[in-house]
Amino acid sequence: MGVDNPGMSGSGSPTFLTTRLDFVVNWARRNSLWPMPFGTACCAIEMMASAASNFDLARFGMERMSFSPRQADVLICAGRVPYKLAPVLRRIWDQMMQPKWCISMGACASSGGVFDVYSMVQGIDTIVPVDVYIPGCPPRPEGLIYGLMMVQEKIRGESLANHAELRAEDPLAAGRPRADDGEVFDLTGPFGNSTHQNRVSGLVETDAVSRSEDRLP
Amino acid sequence: MSPPTSQGSPFDLVAAGTGRARESSATVEAPAAVPPGNPSVTALRERFPDGVLRNAVNAGDEDVVYIDSAHVVELLRWLHDAPDQQYDHLADVTAVDYGGGKPLEVVYQLWSIPHRRALRVKCELPLDGLEIESVTGIWAGANWLEREVFDLFGVDFAGHPDLRRILMPDNYAEGHPLRKDFPLRGRFSRAEQTRRALTQDPEDYYVPGEIGERVPQVIGADAEGDEGGDDVD
Repeated sequence: MGVDNPGMSGSGSPTFLTTRLDFVVNWARRNSLWPMPFGTACCAIEMMASAASNFDLARFGMERMSFSPRQADVLICAGRVPYKLAPVLRRIWDQMMQPKWCISMGACASSGGVFDVYSMVQGIDTIVPVDVYIPGCPPRPEGLIYGLMMVQEKIRGESLANHAELRAEDPLAAGRPRADDGEVFDLTGPFGNSTHQNRVSGLVETDAVSRSEDRLP
Repeated sequence: MSPPTSQGSPFDLVAAGTGRARESSATVEAPAAVPPGNPSVTALRERFPDGVLRNAVNAGDEDVVYIDSAHVVELLRWLHDAPDQQYDHLADVTAVDYGGGKPLEVVYQLWSIPHRRALRVKCELPLDGLEIESVTGIWAGANWLEREVFDLFGVDFAGHPDLRRILMPDNYAEGHPLRKDFPLRGRFSRAEQTRRALTQDPEDYYVPGEIGERVPQVIGADAEGDEGGDDVD
């Protein structure tokens, strides 16, 4: 078993021992996923409800919310992230230990949601890599639990054989945007709810009627 | 569009630009039609005939005074100090940009705790001269409120002790977002906005007095000597 290629025999297929080891390691990892809550908006309320007694996230291994990123396994970004908060989110992600996963909870964290404006990050996947996106505005606790179980399914398929490749981190990339310019452009294409954004600013001529005397005194 | 019939909906009148909406706005426009309910308005007009431009009543009982921007500190100082006024609570300082080249309004929401009276003072500034005197000398709480107006509207408050951005990042270079001529998504591309956002250090938002320096709390210690356990080295 070489260090650079652990668990791989000469033919390139995993050996019996490592598949059994993978099973045990993945079993341990997926049943002790401690979330790092990054709640910024109403999605955080649903996240709190998920952790409370009615839905009881601890049943599935998310035993407690880890308010220290160094003890957390999965980052749950619940809510909208403005650009001013982007370096904070990136720093928390960089502070988390490998192996780590990320959940983008709700429409705002996943795509900017209705906040297609000057101050809002259009999807946190431009800043940190995201494993699971949960739709909803906000998602119900069942949605968050289902998303966490999807992370568990993802862990089930991981192998120590490609661990180094999966979990490779560039220390120089800390604090740099994860997505390149083209990717950001694709993410923030001519969609959204404000395609007529320049109408109010007067930069684009429209046939909209605007009369000052229609305004109430 | 089909021509409005005699049994058309009221929206046809609005679309045609005529009708009751225009007539009613013409009747309310006269400022003297509604007498001010707040005695401060008449007192202010008598005391500062030059400083007060006009007054109005909004929403039935909200008194608004439009004042000259050159006299803002003088008038607001008097409203704060005069025994019959005592507007000791500055609830808000904000601004309104109506767009279309109209002057930008700086709005002071005042509340008198002793007299239980509210007064709204507005100050019109031309778009090419967004400068006004700071009122931080009257209400210390105006500090952050004026920083916010400066950040989002670009109004320059002369005499402000610490006029810098408060909501937008320090390195924000796209302008003042709440102005009507500001595009909704900002001026830079999303990629450039993301890159600029990640280059900032959140600890730069604070001045050294706000973090770092911690004064140890000394309980029950007299002034001289006795620097035993309270000294933090």
